[in-house]
Amino acid sequence: MQLIDIYIQEVTRRLPEKSRGDIALELRSTIEDILPENYSEKEVKEVLKNLGNPASLASEYSEQPMHLIGPRYFDMYTTLLKIVTPIVAILTFFVFIVENIITYGGEEDIVSGSINVIILILGHGTWSIISAVIQTFFWITLVFAILERTDTSKEKSPLTPGWTEWTPDDLKSLPLISKEKKISTLDIFGSLLWIAIFIGVYFNASHLIGIYEKVQGKIQLIIPTFNQEVLQSFWLIIIVALIIEIAFVFYKLIARQWTSKLAIMNTVRNIVSTIVFIVIISTDQLINDEFYMYIEDLLNLSFELKNSVIIISIVLWLFIGILDIVQGFRKGKTKL
Amino acid sequence: MEKLLGSLITELRRGTLTLAVLSQLRTPQYGYSLVQLLEESSVTIEQSTLYPLLRRLEKQELVESSWDTTESRPRKYYVLSEYGVEILEQLKAEWEKSTKELQKLLKGDVGNATD
Repeated sequence: MQLIDIYIQEVTRRLPEKSRGDIALELRSTIEDILPENYSEKEVKEVLKNLGNPASLASEYSEQPMHLIGPRYFDMYTTLLKIVTPIVAILTFFVFIVENIITYGGEEDIVSGSINVIILILGHGTWSIISAVIQTFFWITLVFAILERTDTSKEKSPLTPGWTEWTPDDLKSLPLISKEKKISTLDIFGSLLWIAIFIGVYFNASHLIGIYEKVQGKIQLIIPTFNQEVLQSFWLIIIVALIIEIAFVFYKLIARQWTSKLAIMNTVRNIVSTIVFIVIISTDQLINDEFYMYIEDLLNLSFELKNSVIIISIVLWLFIGILDIVQGFRKGKTKL
Repeated sequence: MEKLLGSLITELRRGTLTLAVLSQLRTPQYGYSLVQLLEESSVTIEQSTLYPLLRRLEKQELVESSWDTTESRPRKYYVLSEYGVEILEQLKAEWEKSTKELQKLLKGDVGNATD
């Protein structure tokens, strides 16, 4: 009877090679045991119906799991995905910004220039983030699916981050996070967005910031505020400062709450950025003289704007920096 | 409601299947003869569960198997190993103990309800 052969084939093709022969033989003898002499097709169908779907019978025989990732690895799998995916997305975003926005040539017309930048970010930027996230998802899933199939231990309980069995001592290494100390994801993304905007603007300042006037029906930048060559000459210390900023954000992402240690790191970060800011702002020729003259004319000022601008900027920067440092310590010290 | 009850009953029975099968394997049995034996005692077991279960028991060295090719069609016979007999005795003791405990609990349940 062909139906029986096909049924057996459907079961055994899902099983490992070495057990196929034996299972096929046993299945056939069992099926024939149940059937009467000179059976009809209807009777065969009845027996096969009782044995059930070949796929589920095969899964009963099989020792391989019928799931991609089981309870032992699932928790670690999702935890890892939640940590790695945003990091990959953010890094991709930065690489994209560095590759595309910094090299942005600068349009004559600020409006169409900005629109081009926005289209670039929304289109290509989103696409590169999505494909990076899909890649991450795929590789992590693949690694865990292989782990699931190669793990020979019969343990079913979920693994801890240390790849060991859980003990109450594991709790000691975890912080109890209070509401006041918690670092929100919004805070992290805010910081990163700010860094991204800063990079974009800093390296294109002469195309973006300045005096705009309507010339021949088009809004155009007539006097840029900054001297791009001077800005560009500081690229090394800017990069160093940015790396410190980004490292701090990632540390916050991992620490998840404010601590005294984090507050100290925040202080160092603020001191570095303040020094960098003072060095750059007090450089001669950073801000174009034409820009000062234009403003002085516009406001009918009788004194030199230059020095007061520098002093006010430094004072403002220091004020914000100190506020940030104090707030860091206040959050870090809060008792539970 | 019906569905939930069904799945709960299946769950309840699943654990006892191994014990039921082991208890019938003191003498050698092949797949279908075991089904008939169990059905005589009105223990119903899905065939798709039974055959794979036998193979698992063999892998766990609780039963031993041998092919009998003397009859018209070859049959695979399963019988308890020494280790299997030992485990069966222990499982039986455990089963008797837990049914007694459960009975006590269920009686208590009735007692509470009438209070």
